[in-house]
Amino acid sequence: MTSDKSFYEFISNGVPGPEQKVDADNAIMPARKLAFSRFKELGLPTIKTEEWRYTNVQRFLKDAFTLAQEEQATVTPEQLKAASIPQLDSYRVVLVNGRLQTDLSELPAGGKITVSKLSDAAGNAQLQAWFDKHPHLQSQPFAALNAALFADGLFIEAGVNATLDKPIQIIHVYTASANAFIQPRHLVVLHKSATLEIIESAVGLNDSAIAFVNAVTEVVLEENAELWHYNIQSTIKNSRHIYHTSATQKADSRYHHFNFTLPSAELTRNNLSVALTGSNTETNLHGLYLATGTQHVDNHTFVDHLVPNCNSNELYKGVLLDDANGVFTGKIHVHQDAQKTNAFQQNNNLLMSEKANINSQPQLEIYADDVKCSHGFTVGRFSEESLFYLRSRGIGEEAAKSLLVNAFAFDITDQVHIPALQDFLAEKIRQYVAGAINN
Amino acid sequence: MRNSNEIIDDIANREYEFGFTTDIEMEMAPVGLNEDTIRFISAKKEEPEWMLEWRLKGFQAFKKMQFPKWQHFEMPELDLQKLSYYAAPKKKKQLGSLDEVDPELLATFEKLGIPINEQKALAGVAVDVVFDSVSVATTFKAKLQELGIIFCSFGEAVRNHPDLVKKYLGTVVPHSDNIFAALNAAVFSDGSFVYIPKGVRCPMELSTYFRINAENTGQFERTLIIADDNSYVSYLEGCTAPRRDENQLHAAVVELVAMDHAEIKYSTVQNWYPGDKDGNGGIYNFVTKRGICKGKSSKISWTQVETGSAITWKYPSVILQGDDAEGEFYSVAVTRNKQIADTGTKIYHLGRNTRSRIISKGISAGLSDNTYRGLVQVGPRAANARNFTQCDSLLIGDRCGAHTFPYIESRNSTATVEHEATTSKIGEDQIFYLNQRGIETEKAVALIVNGYAQEVLNQLPMEFAVEARKLLSITLEGSVG
Repeated sequence: MTSDKSFYEFISNGVPGPEQKVDADNAIMPARKLAFSRFKELGLPTIKTEEWRYTNVQRFLKDAFTLAQEEQATVTPEQLKAASIPQLDSYRVVLVNGRLQTDLSELPAGGKITVSKLSDAAGNAQLQAWFDKHPHLQSQPFAALNAALFADGLFIEAGVNATLDKPIQIIHVYTASANAFIQPRHLVVLHKSATLEIIESAVGLNDSAIAFVNAVTEVVLEENAELWHYNIQSTIKNSRHIYHTSATQKADSRYHHFNFTLPSAELTRNNLSVALTGSNTETNLHGLYLATGTQHVDNHTFVDHLVPNCNSNELYKGVLLDDANGVFTGKIHVHQDAQKTNAFQQNNNLLMSEKANINSQPQLEIYADDVKCSHGFTVGRFSEESLFYLRSRGIGEEAAKSLLVNAFAFDITDQVHIPALQDFLAEKIRQYVAGAINN
Repeated sequence: MRNSNEIIDDIANREYEFGFTTDIEMEMAPVGLNEDTIRFISAKKEEPEWMLEWRLKGFQAFKKMQFPKWQHFEMPELDLQKLSYYAAPKKKKQLGSLDEVDPELLATFEKLGIPINEQKALAGVAVDVVFDSVSVATTFKAKLQELGIIFCSFGEAVRNHPDLVKKYLGTVVPHSDNIFAALNAAVFSDGSFVYIPKGVRCPMELSTYFRINAENTGQFERTLIIADDNSYVSYLEGCTAPRRDENQLHAAVVELVAMDHAEIKYSTVQNWYPGDKDGNGGIYNFVTKRGICKGKSSKISWTQVETGSAITWKYPSVILQGDDAEGEFYSVAVTRNKQIADTGTKIYHLGRNTRSRIISKGISAGLSDNTYRGLVQVGPRAANARNFTQCDSLLIGDRCGAHTFPYIESRNSTATVEHEATTSKIGEDQIFYLNQRGIETEKAVALIVNGYAQEVLNQLPMEFAVEARKLLSITLEGSVG
């Protein structure tokens, strides 16, 4: 697949369909084929595509990539340790290029919670019911491409009333000896009244080749289920990521999504969408992005209020350094039936260098009258007065700035209810600010 | 007291109050759009060669363009070949005073309450009346002339002040800016031209009333306002149109140029025929309005009250080029029945210390869709730029839509940009409170809506503010429960 033509061109026109696959996942082959024809119809986006106007993905697809990828990798305990969150007591799930490595993992044993390969679950009724069904994935070309050609991924199922004593930490290892286009796919289903905490983190092992990750995670919350979902995005610079996370929430369910994009991949695009199909739900979407160098961080969120009496709350904050590019597009869609909706959205940005820039589109699309909806956006820099005040109290520049960035990020880090994770993030912010000042 | 549903039905079914037509003989251009039409218009208006060439350039650009697809409504099918591009009242002789104006025309304005009569003129309103494209009467000309202010029809300006027109025409909205601006460049009929010389503060509000009358004619106005150094002008534009069953396209262009320390205030009250309650007929208001703050410390302020038109689709913009320049946008947009509004502003911060303020209030009722779409762009040079945006939406009834699509692009870390938007309905507690004080629901709603729009209405010049308040009350009184 490493032809002279750009990979963009290859993906647009030359890529063979899912029929080529000889996997045993025949059960979802019809869905794959459907997705493939959808992808053909949608085509890859250009900057003329409204959803991609601030992210020129073509630029990141110019290099040659291979679709074939290593299934095994030698991951040393040190490397795993580096990718783990210190002091965090959790179950551990390790994936290499989207494939579950049971020997490296510590899975929850017995109980009502199962973690398995998606390919092993091909016949599962839940997979049949939910695979590629989320309405918001239907218009996303990269999600369609993933559904058609994904290699493997995780299937997590929590039974009725299931709960775990500690969170599950999922470590995604991406490795490639040559430039690779990696497509993992995950499905998380929480049955009635189940609760779960998931912490995802990622690590890149080889910085001589580019890993382009096009991942899709589908989340289903049945009645009264609750999911805490943390996504920590910190791999190596030489990687590019497009993530789709699409959740469906039934009545009385709670979904808390946290997205932390740390100085890492040169391209990060997050497509987060939540469809509220049952009443009395709660949705909290929190995001923090710290970007340096020429990093491009693009967060697209979509909260779809389909039914009455749902609450959604969204807060995304960004700190941008150097030549970093930030993009935020958040949409709240309130349908005609969705009366008594409360939907809030806020995006705040701190630009810490001359050349950093931010593009933001906080959008409201509302068809019901008895609702409370608002959105807000700000961009600015450090308040000189605050900095001066701290300096005048004998606090050094680095410490003062670190304090201010921490304060800026506090609204989000404070919502994290795992102390080890909070400490980890505080440390990351400190390193980030220190790096900014030393440059 | 009537219940809320009855009141909503009532408002949704309300007929357009200013729907009537005037029978005046028209001189029409042949139907269709081609180079000959453009030559016909240009010849009719006895234009010089350079003007014709500019029109043809616009037409060339137009031919290459497609209708946009990004708007938040379904684009009606427009057959531009079915329109006639020129209509002028036949009586062409020069008029010295109002007595010479066709009495029927005067009666029309009387019905609309347009202050063209002497009393109003004494109140300080100089009116350049545009009746289907050609100016028929201009008052207060002499007084303005004394100060060196040029306020005349566009055609006159082309004849009498070609240097000024040549220098500024198309510099803010180029002939190829967008498909409707290109169409306007090719076929514009007439419009207003204002030039305020250096150091002059225009002593009165300049106002123009546009009317669309002849069936099957689009109206393609072109307005150019230039405020030279240290000058000030406030310009009013108000519109009402008689009812028609066929859709009428209005694709006007307004260009504003403010030089050093100059200030232009441009106010609009738009109440064109919105179509009947089933969405038949009504005006398509696809207008390109843009101003440039060319000089340092210059200021441009747009204020609009939009209650009419089947579709209102416009983004009055400000390019803040000069250092310390200031741009403002105040808007109230009301939609009901099947009306659509996709409106907002674009502010480009290019110079240092530039400031802008956007206040938008959308009110939607019935089956209408009301969208705020706006762009705030801060360029890399625009150090210390400052923007504040607030857009609020009020929903009346559960079948309408209110949307906010802001675009914010900041390329300078010293800039501060703030945006906030809210959506809500009129609180039952607010209505209850007013009811309890003996104010009936209809009046309570008018009161609340007027209060809601107060921030924008306050920006209007006095003469207009009265009209705008009346318009809001007429449009919305008793619409919520």
